[in-house]
Amino acid sequence: MKLLQLNTAEGLNLRQREVLLGWSMVIPSVLIILSLILYPIMYNIYLSFFDVQPLAANTYIGLENHKNVVLDPGFWNALGTTVIYVVFTTLGTTLMGLFVALVMNQEFPLRSLARSLILFPYIAPVISVVFSWQFIFDPVNGIFMDITYERLGLFASRFNLIGSPSTAVWVAVVFSIWKNFPFSYLMILSRLQAIDHNLYEAAEMDGASGWQKFRFITLPEVYFVMGAIVLLRMIWNFNKFEEVYLLTENVRVLSVYTYFKAFVGTMELGQGASLAVIQFLLLLGFILFYIKRVLKW
Amino acid sequence: MKKCIVLFTVMLLLTTFVWAGGQGEAAVEEDATAVEAEGPVSIDFWTTQTQSDRMATIQVLIDTFEALNPNISINLVAVDENELATQLNTAAAAGTLPGMIESAAENAVAFGSEGLLNEQAITKVVNDIGKEKFYAGALRLNETASKGSYYAVPFHGWVQGLWYRADWFEEAGLNPPSTWEDIKKAAEYFYQPDENQYGILVGTKAEAYAEQCFTQIAMANGAQLFDADGNLIFNSPEMKEAVEYYAELAEFTPPGPQSWRARDYYLQGKMAMFFYSTYIMDDLALEENAADSLSSENFSDLEGKSFDPQLVQNTRLAATISNTQDAGYGTIVSFGIPAHGDQQKIDAAQRFIKYLFTPNAYITWLHMAPGGMNPVLKDIATNARFQNDPKGIFQHYGAEKMAEIIQGLDAIETFSIVEGKRMADASTIYSKQIIPQMIYKITQQGMSVKKAMEWAENEMRKVM
Repeated sequence: MKLLQLNTAEGLNLRQREVLLGWSMVIPSVLIILSLILYPIMYNIYLSFFDVQPLAANTYIGLENHKNVVLDPGFWNALGTTVIYVVFTTLGTTLMGLFVALVMNQEFPLRSLARSLILFPYIAPVISVVFSWQFIFDPVNGIFMDITYERLGLFASRFNLIGSPSTAVWVAVVFSIWKNFPFSYLMILSRLQAIDHNLYEAAEMDGASGWQKFRFITLPEVYFVMGAIVLLRMIWNFNKFEEVYLLTENVRVLSVYTYFKAFVGTMELGQGASLAVIQFLLLLGFILFYIKRVLKW
Repeated sequence: MKKCIVLFTVMLLLTTFVWAGGQGEAAVEEDATAVEAEGPVSIDFWTTQTQSDRMATIQVLIDTFEALNPNISINLVAVDENELATQLNTAAAAGTLPGMIESAAENAVAFGSEGLLNEQAITKVVNDIGKEKFYAGALRLNETASKGSYYAVPFHGWVQGLWYRADWFEEAGLNPPSTWEDIKKAAEYFYQPDENQYGILVGTKAEAYAEQCFTQIAMANGAQLFDADGNLIFNSPEMKEAVEYYAELAEFTPPGPQSWRARDYYLQGKMAMFFYSTYIMDDLALEENAADSLSSENFSDLEGKSFDPQLVQNTRLAATISNTQDAGYGTIVSFGIPAHGDQQKIDAAQRFIKYLFTPNAYITWLHMAPGGMNPVLKDIATNARFQNDPKGIFQHYGAEKMAEIIQGLDAIETFSIVEGKRMADASTIYSKQIIPQMIYKITQQGMSVKKAMEWAENEMRKVM
């Protein structure tokens, strides 16, 4: 103990030593963040003002990339798709999570087994799950069509639910809800377990109904957890790439649209960079608004 | 406090590790450039054979080569053909180009004209092997704008055509599908979605497969991307007819965007015709190959799960499609050496490619997919060992039929060669997948043919 102190902090008072310790502990992560996150972001912003050629020099073209992006109807389609995707997946995961958490908070036999089974979709690797979904929704061989069309006769003809551009986004939404609700469930459940039972007992004495107990005790207690979950889910799903892209390339949310713009076909790398910047700004604006209005920080 | 100090030391240690790790890598790279010409060298080989069993066979060839050349080590990397352009451009930008790549000749020409491939290095390989030993048609597809210089060396190739259920056609009294008219008639006739049966498979997903189907159909109508003077003539009446005709055929495919994978439906007896390469030959004939295309045993209630041993007898190939003229199509797969400028790696790649052309290695490679991988060297095609493949495909289809297919390699036509002249821009258009995207817009997004063709032409002008 003595030796270590001599080596690292000789001649410093306690306060200075604390400061030194603090800095030395955050420095590694600061360095990592700077090199792996801040540098790419900065470089990306820089690239968005250039006509980027992978094999030749970049030429400065000012706001041309941003202009081209915004004037392209494809961008507005992608933005619309992203809004649909984010709103419905966030609502879905949160409500589903809340509902399941409320159920799982009740006493019933084999409850802990059920609780852990629910986590499966969340921990299963995306790629294997995606393949089974693609198989389920295959128009010719899939289980979904076999049941709904062949056996139940719900539809007039077979169709490609996961492939057609008009329906694919809804499959992606349902997939994301199914895959990610266990996270919301886990967070909400842990908060539910911390609610003091006396509150419910007191409410019962006052003759509160089940709904009233939920509305005036449970909901205020889980409000901030849900607020945080909603924020995180919106950030995650706004930038979501792999779940959407692997499931079906036809759902052009902003991240997938950016990928295609930048790396497929005519490879507009500069426009790709400017798309990433725009997406970043949109997200930043939303986060600031949300934190001020909903989380009231 | 004690805890804090321990934590601090651990953190310090960790940072040194991270730092040292980074240093170590840099040092290794310096080493690689510093060693003399005879020293060990390691190259990446990007193959488009992504199936694990094929990779295993290639790895055996690599191991043999490494045993013969202890100074060279080859690292096999599988890259999907559809991702190749993206990956190679990214690698070029990052300065991490591989030592050699395997790609369709069309892509090799596109990469070459972008300056990504080393022409001198590969032309030397062609000359060392002997230009006269190759099929001239296969070699020509890799030629640069100047005669006698090549972007890549052809290695193997396949022929595409329309495979069809001869027994169904016979029963229905329909002509074999080799003209536009007969194809459409049959597609319409066999399209019975209520019965879960479909007329034809043409690509409708924005992938290379759609372009492969479309090229043959367009060629049959005399439609070209460029005239002999290099002017873009995409907006021709012939091309418009071809696009319209293709869109009509697409009505008779299984629902939604479809790609080559939908050939599974044919193997399950749910489809009458499909465009495919000769790669399908072993899947049709051998149960273990077809298994991949049939529904899993776990779902016994779903239809179309068992192997049909009669299918191979009942299947025929219409290799030539015609409307105003005859059109054959196929792809030559070639090796290219990327332009990374490292002489030692170039030497290693050249030596490895020449090794792959030695009869034993070559035949081992080709036997990975008999019928699909056909030789581009004349003396290998008639080699008795080559004709005696372990899967018995030659026996199954007969040496005569196989010879016909291999001959077809010499007659492959693509948009990028017009009256013997190389149109490098056509290869770029192919590699940017503009036509597949156009087809997707028409068939899946409901865009009108006129609007989609305008869009495509606009995109083509952008990349020229």
